[in-house]
Amino acid sequence: MTTLALYSNKGGVGKTTAAVNLAYLAAQSGYTTLLCDLDPQAAATFYFRVKPKLKADARGLVGVRKELERSIKASDYTGLDILPADFSHRNLDITFDRSKRSRQRLGSALKRLRREYDLIVLDCPPTINILAENIFNASDHLLVPVIPTTLSVRTFEQLLSFLAENKHDLKQVSAFFSMVDRRKNLHKQVMSEMYEQFSNVMQNPIPTLSQIELMGVYREPVSAFSPRSAAARAYKALWSELKEKKMFS
Amino acid sequence: MDFETWLADNYEFVVEAPGVDAWRIFDTFDWLLFNRAMMLRRTGSEFALVALNGGTIRNCEIRGGDPVFARDFPEGVLRSDLARIINERALFPLAEVYVEETSYRILDDEQKTVARLIRTQVRGEGDEFGGADSASFLGVRTLRGYEKHARRLAKELAAWGEGLNSMDEAILLSALRMAGQTPNSYSSRLDVRLKPEMRADAAARAIMQRLLETIRANEEGIKADTDIEFLHDYRIAVRRTRSALSLIKGVFSPEMTDHFKQEFRTLGKFTNDLRDLDVYLLAEEGYRAQLPGAMKNDIAPLFDYLRAHRVVALDAVTETLESEAYARTLDEWAAFLNESTAVDSAVNASQPIISLARKRIRKQYQRIVQDGSFILSHTEDELLHALRIECKKLRYLLEFFESLFPPRKMGQLIKQLKRLQDNLGEFSDLTVQQNYLLAVAEALDIDEVLARRALVSTGFLVETMARRQQEVKSEFAGTFTKFASPAHQRQFHRLFGSGKGRRKI
Repeated sequence: MTTLALYSNKGGVGKTTAAVNLAYLAAQSGYTTLLCDLDPQAAATFYFRVKPKLKADARGLVGVRKELERSIKASDYTGLDILPADFSHRNLDITFDRSKRSRQRLGSALKRLRREYDLIVLDCPPTINILAENIFNASDHLLVPVIPTTLSVRTFEQLLSFLAENKHDLKQVSAFFSMVDRRKNLHKQVMSEMYEQFSNVMQNPIPTLSQIELMGVYREPVSAFSPRSAAARAYKALWSELKEKKMFS
Repeated sequence: MDFETWLADNYEFVVEAPGVDAWRIFDTFDWLLFNRAMMLRRTGSEFALVALNGGTIRNCEIRGGDPVFARDFPEGVLRSDLARIINERALFPLAEVYVEETSYRILDDEQKTVARLIRTQVRGEGDEFGGADSASFLGVRTLRGYEKHARRLAKELAAWGEGLNSMDEAILLSALRMAGQTPNSYSSRLDVRLKPEMRADAAARAIMQRLLETIRANEEGIKADTDIEFLHDYRIAVRRTRSALSLIKGVFSPEMTDHFKQEFRTLGKFTNDLRDLDVYLLAEEGYRAQLPGAMKNDIAPLFDYLRAHRVVALDAVTETLESEAYARTLDEWAAFLNESTAVDSAVNASQPIISLARKRIRKQYQRIVQDGSFILSHTEDELLHALRIECKKLRYLLEFFESLFPPRKMGQLIKQLKRLQDNLGEFSDLTVQQNYLLAVAEALDIDEVLARRALVSTGFLVETMARRQQEVKSEFAGTFTKFASPAHQRQFHRLFGSGKGRRKI
């Protein structure tokens, strides 16, 4: 099993749409996939039409792991399950303290699912707090969406140095360009600079496209409701590149 | 009213366009998957290993021909799960059917799918959906996290009068029926149901009849070299027959008993070489793993030699199996087993089988306890080998007469005996293996550099085995003491005692 985290410490960079579409494409190509919505804004959960759970289990009676297993919901697509946002909202952020064990909590909870899923995709909230550390510890790969602007590149650099300082054993951190507008010279320039500076930038960018925004209306991955669109093709290319890099066992 | 109308009255749903798949269903000769409530199927290039009780599904993709062994599958969960169940057995395509699935997605008020109602139609080659031999079922597919919705749908459908099926199981059973396959048409288990009051000679014949079926059922697979388990099952059945002839004493005339004992001794021998080679070739990886890094590949010439020999050994076995003499022996044996049992040709023939069974098991157990106790103070290798044989005899007796005694107690006794057998078996295997490897190494061409290196690595393996053998030997005392414990002796006495007083056995 492989755990892939879509992570950025900036919000609104196309993280959730990428997580949703990559998870969908993974399931379509035969990987039994779990998409974990760790973002309290619950966008991924919304895209899959999963209703938020109103009644919380009596806390303390069931452990985090048990409740994790109970919270998982099937999506409308074969091979793709969702861990809705309300699970992490209730169980992760608030219960973390600063102890060493609490940094591994997400990882050890997910370990139980190893035999069930080939791939776990984490859609993460834009934070650098203890939840982020949990995410780093639980993930095999960190995939970071970067809008090709000077500020975003700086943020990516900061993330890399933070990970290095905190000795996170990530096999791979990769960036991919998100919300790219090819008409903007700045975007083109930043992209070519970044390709020069970093080796771990994916070759297939995700452009800004209106079909991606339509996901909120259709409440489906764009790869499902419009599989031949430019947007779907872009995600497909990114997915293929991830697969070629042999990120998934 | 058909169910679609009913559904429309009660639920909001979307019908997906039906899809037809050709299913090819696999199992091993001895139905290992079926007996674990599993199904392996191929649809196009996709393989799925399905737990029929609604558990997990493992998938993988294979283009090209059907795989035969678990090792032919791409590495992954499907392969490891499959390997755990079928081990070295080959897979056969059992049945081929067309399956049409129409999925009715039941929606909630967010238009989210919360359950799937599936209409499945199955037909064989040359038939059509709705045809005379085709089958059709309705089933509910539960979606994770939406179990309540599926339960409600199933309950309401049942109340309306529509029975539901477990899909995969229903499809499997109809596919088998359409292909004319009977589940468990072969099993290596000696499952003979004996009655306590049965005449001893009739019981012996029933056991041997069953063993003869096993012998014959495996001949084709040995000749076709489908997998190595055909030969293994064949040999066990031959050995059991020979043991039955000598262990179930006095049920046939001494002349006939001696005659067939001799025949089965011969039948036991002609497959020895081939089985030895199978065992060593199977252990190749294990041997390699025991060698230090620099030597890992040195052992290769030894196994190349064994592989070449196996071709010859298989030819020899096939030749015997196809010979007239072989056919005559088995025909003669079959005719003997079919003879009427009315004549009291031997001393124990008309005894009820239960008393003979008790007596034989009791005596054999006593003998092992005595021999083993002697070994505790005289641990000589030969004595351990001899004790192994006696344990094997007891094991056979327990298996022959299993159906006469309470199953749970028999299970326990066999388990305890097995522990002792494992210890003795490993000890003896290690002796045999050391001698065998040394003999094979001697046959290699010493002028070749590769052969010389193979010799060195063989020496290393033999030394490792000798060391392990000492450990196994030292474990004997503990294992045996448990086996011969007073509690265990009482258990044997209670089950197999003669009933004449509380004589200690």
